[in-house]
Amino acid sequence: MKTAANSAEKMREHLLELREVSFSYVMRGGEKLQVFDKLSLSVSYAEFLGIAGPSGCGKSTLLRIMAGLLKPESGEVLFRGKPLKEPTPRISMMFQSPALFPWYTVLENVMLALIHEKELSREEKEERVKVFLDMVGLMGFETAYPAELSGGMRQRVALARALVAQPDLLLMDEPFSNLDPLTAISLRREIETLWRNQSLPPSSVVMVSHDIEELVELSDRIIVLTKRPVKIAGIIEIEMERPRSRRSKEFYEYVDEVYTLLS
Amino acid sequence: MITALELLEILAALGYSWARMSMSLLLSILFSLCVGILAGVNRLAEKIIIPILDILQSIPILSFFPLALYIFISVHPIIGPEIAAIFLIFTSQVWNIAFGVYEAIKLLPHEILEAARSLGLGPLRRLRDLYIPAAFPKIAANIPASWANGLYFLVACEIITIGESKWKLFGIGTISTEFMLSGKIPQFWISLIAVVAAVIFMNLALFIPLMRLSERYKFEAYAAEVPRVWIERATKPIGELFGRIFADKGLPGGEPVSRFLSYLASIIKRNKVIVSALAIAALISSSAYYLNSIDVSDYLEVVISGFGRLGLIDPLLMIGFSLLRVVSAIIIGLAWVIPVSILIYERRRLEKILVPTFQVLASLPATLLIPLIVKLVLDAKLPLETGAITLILLGTQWYLFFFISSAMRSIPREEEEVCKLFRIRGFKKFRHLYLPRILPSLVMGCLVAMGGGWNTLVVAERIVLDHFIWQVENPGIGKALSEAVTSGDLGLLVAATIWMVGFIAVLNKLFWRRLYQKATEIVGVVT
Repeated sequence: MKTAANSAEKMREHLLELREVSFSYVMRGGEKLQVFDKLSLSVSYAEFLGIAGPSGCGKSTLLRIMAGLLKPESGEVLFRGKPLKEPTPRISMMFQSPALFPWYTVLENVMLALIHEKELSREEKEERVKVFLDMVGLMGFETAYPAELSGGMRQRVALARALVAQPDLLLMDEPFSNLDPLTAISLRREIETLWRNQSLPPSSVVMVSHDIEELVELSDRIIVLTKRPVKIAGIIEIEMERPRSRRSKEFYEYVDEVYTLLS
Repeated sequence: MITALELLEILAALGYSWARMSMSLLLSILFSLCVGILAGVNRLAEKIIIPILDILQSIPILSFFPLALYIFISVHPIIGPEIAAIFLIFTSQVWNIAFGVYEAIKLLPHEILEAARSLGLGPLRRLRDLYIPAAFPKIAANIPASWANGLYFLVACEIITIGESKWKLFGIGTISTEFMLSGKIPQFWISLIAVVAAVIFMNLALFIPLMRLSERYKFEAYAAEVPRVWIERATKPIGELFGRIFADKGLPGGEPVSRFLSYLASIIKRNKVIVSALAIAALISSSAYYLNSIDVSDYLEVVISGFGRLGLIDPLLMIGFSLLRVVSAIIIGLAWVIPVSILIYERRRLEKILVPTFQVLASLPATLLIPLIVKLVLDAKLPLETGAITLILLGTQWYLFFFISSAMRSIPREEEEVCKLFRIRGFKKFRHLYLPRILPSLVMGCLVAMGGGWNTLVVAERIVLDHFIWQVENPGIGKALSEAVTSGDLGLLVAATIWMVGFIAVLNKLFWRRLYQKATEIVGVVT
């Protein structure tokens, strides 16, 4: 468990920082669609950051900029104080769909994340992958192919793949939106447990979601975005004991607060 | 100097040729929809249709041109040759479209099929709302290649000599050859430029807008954008017109076709044995009827003597050499197609320049360039084989390019992002992502390209420009076929064709089918 003092101290440092980031898409007609105009925000160490916003506002684009998959037109992305030029194994990402390679087994899919770990032998890599598969509850499914798994199991493979390289930051793009509620609940619990366990990756998590209750349940802080061009409508700090009960009055006050900012 | 009359003549010839091409293209699309969808939907039909298509697409068009001509002329002496030409252009345009439709139907996501079933869509609605729209992108993507292939053989179809008799159809192929042979070089170049201009116009006004329109019929979440070109503004109205026709009313003619198809399918399903027996009987009796006019026993004798003269070792040697040529052309083709497709996928900006350029290049008939290639090879004193392989390459490479680049474009964005996240690059990226993703299309593309390659052999291994004959020194099945056509040796022609088709059938059965099976197994159920 993290002590309050420890996490408060770490909160002051930024793991990832976006400084005046601008980004736009060129539409079919040729006109420019400004998504972000000088947007700044930051992710602290050991923080669980939730991002909410109207649909189509560019939340997924924001995550891809954080991951280094997209380059901002102007502005800077700093990761541990240094400019982020390209994707790094220290930042991993989970997509809305599991994005597994259908021609590889579960084991091989997760192994892909360790492709650059040259000092590890194949056996060591396999051992490590198995540890993470065990962690997400997929022990015994190493040789299965993605097509043979249920949606929830596939998303667990994607989680294992995202964590196996032991990243500092995990970015999640609506990771539970394609899952049934029960599977979503158990996967949410697992991610929360992993994040709170300091000896295990990741240090910080950024999650984009449409599900406001999900965000309130997991986040330390929720950033609410506006429509294009995206600005920050408000930031809500959530100070509730974990694990949080969805039935408490306090919980609903936070949910209402987010909805107010959204509308 | 060129006269105004000659200019008019060129334009009129172009019009005639274009009318032939358009007619056979429409036929090809209709045929592909019927056959491709039937094969994609029905297991039994698949088992019958796909092997037949495999064989048909590998039959060298020019070798059965005399037979087709003979049959169609016996139907009607004046319009017969015209129908024969359209039929032959059709056989050069149809196969890749048919395989494209089949592939599109086979690769339909399970969820979509299940959704259609759960929505209670009948066969007719499914055809109109699912199968035809799903096949549309593949059809649109294959039209440029088909057009190019049709042009490739148009030149050869319009003018043909069999023994003593010579048929000529008025068209751009005839007229350009005549210009060339009568030494009217400027006129030859003008007719070539007219073809290029007409091809570019077709691409800009029709093919590219169609492809752009087809984008929204794709199933990928991140449908790749068709590159925009500078003439966007000029072509937009036409694209919108098509958009309205297709979007509001569904595909024109879709309904009668679908009704006919579902009717046909239900009949075949219920009476498998009777229908197939009837079909075979009809085929045999109709061919017997036409062959009767030259006496069946004579005909058989001629063919048997053809086999006798060919022997056993020679045909194998010819096929072996031809296979070597086709395979080298495909390897050369792959050597540029794969890297360029990857480059286009990774650099979106290049796509906007390269893809339209290739579309136009692909549509240019290589056969019109034959005199030029012959001259270059002779001047540079290169081995004659390089000329033959170049001609085969010109007839096959675009199949490879269109199959592979369209597979590349349908790679889900997220899979590529996974590679970026884990910094999987270069050869590793090729091995883990690109190769498995393109594998089925790679095999399919090679299969179709090889079919195309066999087809080009007749013009690639032996070129006849009036008195000037240019041929490879080593044996070749295309060379043998071409010789049989010019000398009017029906027996040798049929025997050589059967040898070649037989070999292709064995190759397809033993090699390509298995390879394709393997390829789809490796890729697994694409989710």
